[in-house]
Amino acid sequence: MISSLAIIAFAALIHASFQLSVSMLTLLSGHAIGAKTAHARLLRLTTSFLCGVAVMTLFVVSFTSFLFQQLFGAATPPLAWAVTCGLLFGLGVAVWAFYYRRQEGTSLWLPRSIARYLADRAKATKQSAEAFGLGLSSVTGELIFILAPVTVASLVLIRMEPLWQLAGVALYTVISLLSLLVVHALIGGGHKLSRIQKWRETNKRFLQFAAGGGLLVLGFYVYVDQVIAATAFAHGGF
Amino acid sequence: MSGPTEILKRGGQRASEDFNRSKLHASIQAACLSVRSPEGEASTIADNVCDAVAAWLHAKPEVTSHDLRRKATATLESFHPEAAYLYKHHRLVI
Repeated sequence: MISSLAIIAFAALIHASFQLSVSMLTLLSGHAIGAKTAHARLLRLTTSFLCGVAVMTLFVVSFTSFLFQQLFGAATPPLAWAVTCGLLFGLGVAVWAFYYRRQEGTSLWLPRSIARYLADRAKATKQSAEAFGLGLSSVTGELIFILAPVTVASLVLIRMEPLWQLAGVALYTVISLLSLLVVHALIGGGHKLSRIQKWRETNKRFLQFAAGGGLLVLGFYVYVDQVIAATAFAHGGF
Repeated sequence: MSGPTEILKRGGQRASEDFNRSKLHASIQAACLSVRSPEGEASTIADNVCDAVAAWLHAKPEVTSHDLRRKATATLESFHPEAAYLYKHHRLVI
């Protein structure tokens, strides 16, 4: 049980290192402060954005878990684990190769037309409901990268008892929100957005390395633990 | 120079427009406010930047929006480096 929760927590940490939601929260806050929005209203907007991200993460993890449970039951075949490992390795290398664009700032891999659309939406967001929707869409926008940690977490979740499954989904959601919670707290505490953005820009290569490395490490661990060990066990090796 | 300077938009995909001082003022002021500058200071800095940019535009029939932004950033840099950083990078956050 502890190792299952540890895998879920590690997958969620990798999820937390992806930056689209943080970028959008930074933009949303910047435009709101620049438009002389009252502090309480700014906090309402950022909190609604956080809630949107949390709800969508919860939905995505629950949906994939349900899907895998319907497909595999409680016993995931080694082939499914092997495919998941391939996904982890592939996305790990992809994160290292092109998660950030090779230019100033913290521009992400997103096509520029989509990035401009999201930036314009962040600028146009004035109501809490819009901020909530923006949070939902920021998770959707990064699905291609978060798919790998979500898949691992879901495959682990379906082996657990129902009550522990709920705890696992909650654990994943809370940990995946950590980076957003930190930025939210900094903005709420009156820190300058320029400092937050400068920190992100200065450390973007480290964050990229950590996210890609995390995916590779998780892939290697899962491969040894679920594919090699299961195969060896099936052949009477253990 | 007879009329206002024409601003050519990025990549030529959008129609060009005349230089609009109040639009530049609003964007510089917003950048200053974003880094928690007091309103009065933000307005004064925006006035100074707009004056410098208007002087630079004098006798230029047309400039690109990129050049206008570069000049505004360079001027803002001397008044408020942190606001200039945000102003320069706000399209590079996502």
